Amino acid sequence: MNARSQIFELTVEGRQADEAVASLFHTVLFHRSLGKFTYNDEGSYSVGTVGYTDVDCDFIDLTYVCCSSPSLEQTIRREINCFSEQLRGNEGTGMGQISLEFFQKKPSRWLFQPECIPWEVWTVRLELITLNNEGERQVCREKVGEMLTDKVLYIAEVMNRHDYLPKMPIQSELETVFDASYRDIQPYLFKVNYSISGPSSGSTVGSTMKKLIRETLSF
Amino acid sequence: MIMKLNSQEKKELDKFTKFLALKSTQIIVQSRLGEKVSTACKPQTTGTDWSILFQFNLNINDIPEVLVEGKKILNGEVLSSRLPLCIEISLRTVEGDHMVLETWYLSLSPEQCDPTARIIHTIYNHMGILLKSLVSVSRVIPAYKLSRRQGPESFVICYRMYMGEPLQQCLGEGFKNICVGQVCTPLGTFALSVSYRTKMTISPTQTGRDNSIMLKSDHFNTHVCTQIGEQEEKDNTSSLSDIMKIGAFADLKKKTLEYDMMMPSPPFSKIFKEKLSPNKCPVFPEAVNKEMENSEKYIDSSASTHTLEARMDSLTMVSTNDDFIMVDLKTPFANTNEKSELGKFYREWQSAPPLQAFVDVTPPEELDVAKQLATFESSLNEYDSVVQSLCSSVNNS
Repeated sequence: MNARSQIFELTVEGRQADEAVASLFHTVLFHRSLGKFTYNDEGSYSVGTVGYTDVDCDFIDLTYVCCSSPSLEQTIRREINCFSEQLRGNEGTGMGQISLEFFQKKPSRWLFQPECIPWEVWTVRLELITLNNEGERQVCREKVGEMLTDKVLYIAEVMNRHDYLPKMPIQSELETVFDASYRDIQPYLFKVNYSISGPSSGSTVGSTMKKLIRETLSF
Repeated sequence: MIMKLNSQEKKELDKFTKFLALKSTQIIVQSRLGEKVSTACKPQTTGTDWSILFQFNLNINDIPEVLVEGKKILNGEVLSSRLPLCIEISLRTVEGDHMVLETWYLSLSPEQCDPTARIIHTIYNHMGILLKSLVSVSRVIPAYKLSRRQGPESFVICYRMYMGEPLQQCLGEGFKNICVGQVCTPLGTFALSVSYRTKMTISPTQTGRDNSIMLKSDHFNTHVCTQIGEQEEKDNTSSLSDIMKIGAFADLKKKTLEYDMMMPSPPFSKIFKEKLSPNKCPVFPEAVNKEMENSEKYIDSSASTHTLEARMDSLTMVSTNDDFIMVDLKTPFANTNEKSELGKFYREWQSAPPLQAFVDVTPPEELDVAKQLATFESSLNEYDSVVQSLCSSVNNS
């Protein structure tokens, strides 16, 4: 089985990077999170409800929606911050990519670590630009907002194709499909990966991408 | 091919469809209130089984007025046979201009059905995802940014619901269509879409074209409502007797002083009241008819009757000639002759001209007449002697 892979390419100013990535990842996670499961004695379970919150961007003309889970929001923010700091640092070329990967675990066999099988990957490839004045910044603010609008609409389109999702697990195997560590919400298992193109790598952004795609598809 | 559903499955699917429609209306209307929305995740669900089931595991707060309006439109009938359901979002300016911004619609394509879809799990989950997409998409459509800038001084966002094909001609040239998502069921494919305006210029031809009832989306926002209500009231009754407002940094003590010095009965107070009536009267009959026809469709009928009464009051304040007080204009840079000529001209035409015969006759006054009568009576003997002398002279001749 191949994982579905979506790649978004964006050109943003350094300070817009965090919000650009967060708006897309949170939109995806909102669709890929369920209410918390509560099991009862008979083995059946009740599902909680997912709350949502509007978030206004500071540096982009955009409002997006995320799950009302401070802990999930913190996890995502921490990952994006690390990526953004490296991307904006002096050592990089201002190009890099970050991906949100949903996976399921195959039950572990004797002595082996459980195998992680990705089933959906969302990649945001960023290129940073430098703007000279406030006029340009205003234009960029609106332009990036429009670009992200298109991406949000595309995410909705993909979500409503109702493609493969892991099957609902039995209670004992809940954590092979869902991340049950959050108190208020239950997202499908996910992880965030990122890579920054170094100055020496030159034209290796493409090759890094190929490597990443090869990695995600090689199972 | 439409797969045969047993009656229980059909009933469940109809219920899901109904609640999908109701929740969609809530999401759309709430996204256009101009406020940020935040609902909490609820790990432990409470309430009856049915109420939880029809939340699609999404915490959407229900605004009672929207729910009532939605149910009224659905009319308790089987929804799938009556779709599309449309929710129209429009903008109304303070000047009364009106522009439809977008129309969201839930439709059913019976030819595209998925006979394999099992009702409870698949359809239910797909409907949940569709509602999530609706939440996300509603924030990035142009009308969202406009709705966040709305206010009673500039423009308000309104909504209305109707069954039938979406009226896309109201959206102007170059409108766009977006399919938010769809759910395949044995009955067909339910699709939720939006058509939205791209050209945001209000043209005069659009004003008053649509006579159907509008529901203000911030109607249920009690804070805003009272503010508007108070504002209108103040406008209607503004007079010199009102206590003056104190400025932000003004000394409080001064206020009492000014109040003491206020004149007990302000001169020309009638002028201030009457100033309102000529503007309001011409639009009155039409507005009242419209409100009477549609008063049932208002969410809060008491609000409409309130405005009706207010207008009735304004109607009674019709200015008449008797009450009119002429105030001489002191036109800057004009000489005194011109000023009096204008006043004279106005007075001359204010009432019918006097007859030429009475031009030189000074009007008798009550006291003078009594005095004259008294003098006539006192010299009654004199008159008698005159008459007698005349009579005797006639006899003599």
